[in-house]
Amino acid sequence: MEALLEVQNLSVTFAEGGHQKTAVDHISFTVKKGEILGVVGESGSGKSMTALTVMGIQPEDAKVSGRILFQGKELLSLSEEERNQIRGNGLGMVFQEPMTSLNPVLKVGMQVAESLKLHTNLPSDEIRERTLETLRRVGLSDAEGIYDKYPHELSGGMRQRAMLAMAMIHTPSLLIADEPTTALDVLVQAQILELIRTLHQERQISVLFISHDLKVIRQVCDRVLVMRGGRILEEGTVKKVFETPEHAYTKKLVGASVERTGDFRTEKTVLSVRNLNVHYKNRALLPGRNQGKKQVLSDVSFDVREGEIFGIVGESGCGKSTLARTITGLHKEYEGQIVTGGETGPQMVFQDPFGSLNPARTIGWILEEPLKVRGIRSRAERKQMVTEMLQDIGLDASFAKRYPRELSGGQRQRISIGLALSMNARLLIADEPVSALDITIQAQILELLLKINREKKTAILFITHDLSLVRRICHRAAVLYEGKILEIGDGREICDHPKAEYTRQLLAAALDENRMAEMK
Amino acid sequence: MMKYITRKFVTLIITLLLISAMTFGAFSVIPGDASVSRLGTEATQEQIEALREEMGLNRPITERYASWVFDAIHGDFGESLRYSGITVQELLEDRLPVTVLLAVIALIMMFAFSVPLALLSVRFRNRWQDTVISQLVQVVMAIPSFFLGILLTYLFGIALHMFQPGKFISPSEDFWASVRYLIFPAMAIALPKGAMVIRFIRNAVLGEMKKEYVRTARSKGNGKDRILYVHVLRNALIPVITFGAMIAAQVLAGSIIVEQVFSVPGVGRLLVSSISARDYPVVQAIVIYITAIVVIMNFAVDVLYQIADPRVKGDQG
Repeated sequence: MEALLEVQNLSVTFAEGGHQKTAVDHISFTVKKGEILGVVGESGSGKSMTALTVMGIQPEDAKVSGRILFQGKELLSLSEEERNQIRGNGLGMVFQEPMTSLNPVLKVGMQVAESLKLHTNLPSDEIRERTLETLRRVGLSDAEGIYDKYPHELSGGMRQRAMLAMAMIHTPSLLIADEPTTALDVLVQAQILELIRTLHQERQISVLFISHDLKVIRQVCDRVLVMRGGRILEEGTVKKVFETPEHAYTKKLVGASVERTGDFRTEKTVLSVRNLNVHYKNRALLPGRNQGKKQVLSDVSFDVREGEIFGIVGESGCGKSTLARTITGLHKEYEGQIVTGGETGPQMVFQDPFGSLNPARTIGWILEEPLKVRGIRSRAERKQMVTEMLQDIGLDASFAKRYPRELSGGQRQRISIGLALSMNARLLIADEPVSALDITIQAQILELLLKINREKKTAILFITHDLSLVRRICHRAAVLYEGKILEIGDGREICDHPKAEYTRQLLAAALDENRMAEMK
Repeated sequence: MMKYITRKFVTLIITLLLISAMTFGAFSVIPGDASVSRLGTEATQEQIEALREEMGLNRPITERYASWVFDAIHGDFGESLRYSGITVQELLEDRLPVTVLLAVIALIMMFAFSVPLALLSVRFRNRWQDTVISQLVQVVMAIPSFFLGILLTYLFGIALHMFQPGKFISPSEDFWASVRYLIFPAMAIALPKGAMVIRFIRNAVLGEMKKEYVRTARSKGNGKDRILYVHVLRNALIPVITFGAMIAAQVLAGSIIVEQVFSVPGVGRLLVSSISARDYPVVQAIVIYITAIVVIMNFAVDVLYQIADPRVKGDQG
């Protein structure tokens, strides 16, 4: 196959306090005409920087060297004006966060149409016509309505469809997709991936697909590059790289799945929720009008036993975060009964703990604080306990002197788990504790949670959107949809023999990945 | 929206009541009153007492305030204590247009030079043009309005003879001659405030430039200018609206001092002289007018906000 994009010896460096920081380190690869090339890697691997540099929209202080040949043209030697001719024309790009990547004050239609306006001389009514057509093509059936809407008036999935329409409208030869589905719910993610594949086939568009998610890469890509630390470690067909990985890191990446072993449940109940109803009041615009209630949780009942890992599965908006907030006592208006065992209440572990760690204090201080609250007077004793806690969560004693900003996402998540433990909690509520983390780090955090569960018999209420995690980790699980529990039962059983239609859909979205990978 | 307007209106009324009560209170605390300043230091105690009785100054303060509020609600701000026979209304009708004209000219001047200069400094960021503008902004911001007024009077009035200091022509007499005179006091107000606006807009635009939607705009092949004018500017101007309203209120306040320097017979001068004459009905009325203008301006800002930022719409309930 003919080469569409050839990257030769590409390096991207930044000057940082006197020395050079290398983001991309002499990489070379080719995107062939008509293929989808995946680039997989964890944060800091240089995959996004590679994408931005090919597009020519890397940060201004980046130093770029090497060659980027697109349709035979050397992009790096072109002037800014000449590159603008190619951007949005031969090259299109889809970004990760459809909310922040769209201009908040411009109408969706105008933003989608812009490439046509910039690169063609079409009359405005024809541009409008083609914009509507493209919006419809990406599955936005109410194209006229959406044309005049602002980005904040659309849902996440609709926004990402609009983004795709924007990148596709002028039918680029190469579409660069930088984590296009990472911010989306499972079901929507599956739809968007499907859409990218269809557009690729229909319009013969080649795709450079960047993702940290192996499942996604496996689902859409033909070939894949594995990147780490700015270098390409391994390259090959998806089948080859995933089934017979050569590099040790790729093996770790592919094999990074954690599974629960053993059952440490006792008969003691640590959490009992009975007929829980939560609703928010709609603020009425006019007195006496639409003073309605929005039901967030309806008739939710379940028990969690000591030493149990109990999964709550659902997509965003299903009420799972409200459930967590209500159980921890952050949300006080509810009907029904919540009984938590033990003298200390349940403790939260958040998705991204950065915001919950005081940036002005050391980790040692942060971990010591709950001990003071618990009334441990002796300073030496508290210090000793902090050191032990750090060991328990897999960090060494030197971390006590560091500040939250000096820690990586995984390390911060460890601290957040440590904090919950130092309250002596018998129940941890973990709200998507690993979904913001890189794959290898995810595995480590899951291992840590399992270790705590094993050694301390701490129960964990594990809130997630990921059914495969439920299958591997949870003893029992409940599927939550629009505030109602659809089914409840054994974690493995729910995944293998789902009873509710919605669970089957969720599962189908996950199975799609395997099916599509097999189709190729 | 109706509820929003009602709520704003109630806020306005409460603010006005509080402000008027405070000025009333202030007058009972500061020594001396209108009778003394009108009769002079030579007057006998009997004369003063008689006048006080006649002016109603002997009644208790709460009673005076209550009757003032009652009259004010009916649109009657009473008579000036200093110029007997002239109503406060007449005084204000004479002076207010001058100050409003001055403030409007100052605001137009301020935005007319600050927006282009801010954009220029963004366009040539970190180049010499930007450095020069930043330096000028730094210097101008540091000069107080009244001192700048003296400098301008000297430069344009005495050295260049572009206007005759002290020879103000009323807008009702010759509107354009009046405007020509007011350009210079307006400049004294506009320059320091405009410098602040330049810095504010520059920072707002540069902040917006770092946003992700700018990256998206670049990926579509937008050139630098189009990104600035079509994509960034409207976003950057949203916070400027609030800032602009604050500045506008300050421009009004700034006119008080500058009117003194340029001997412009506006509300500012009237306010200062009325305070020293203890002419409280006039002071009350001016304070009420200025407060109302500021509150109404804030209301206008909220409305502007809704036009500029589609995300705000409907969130005001």
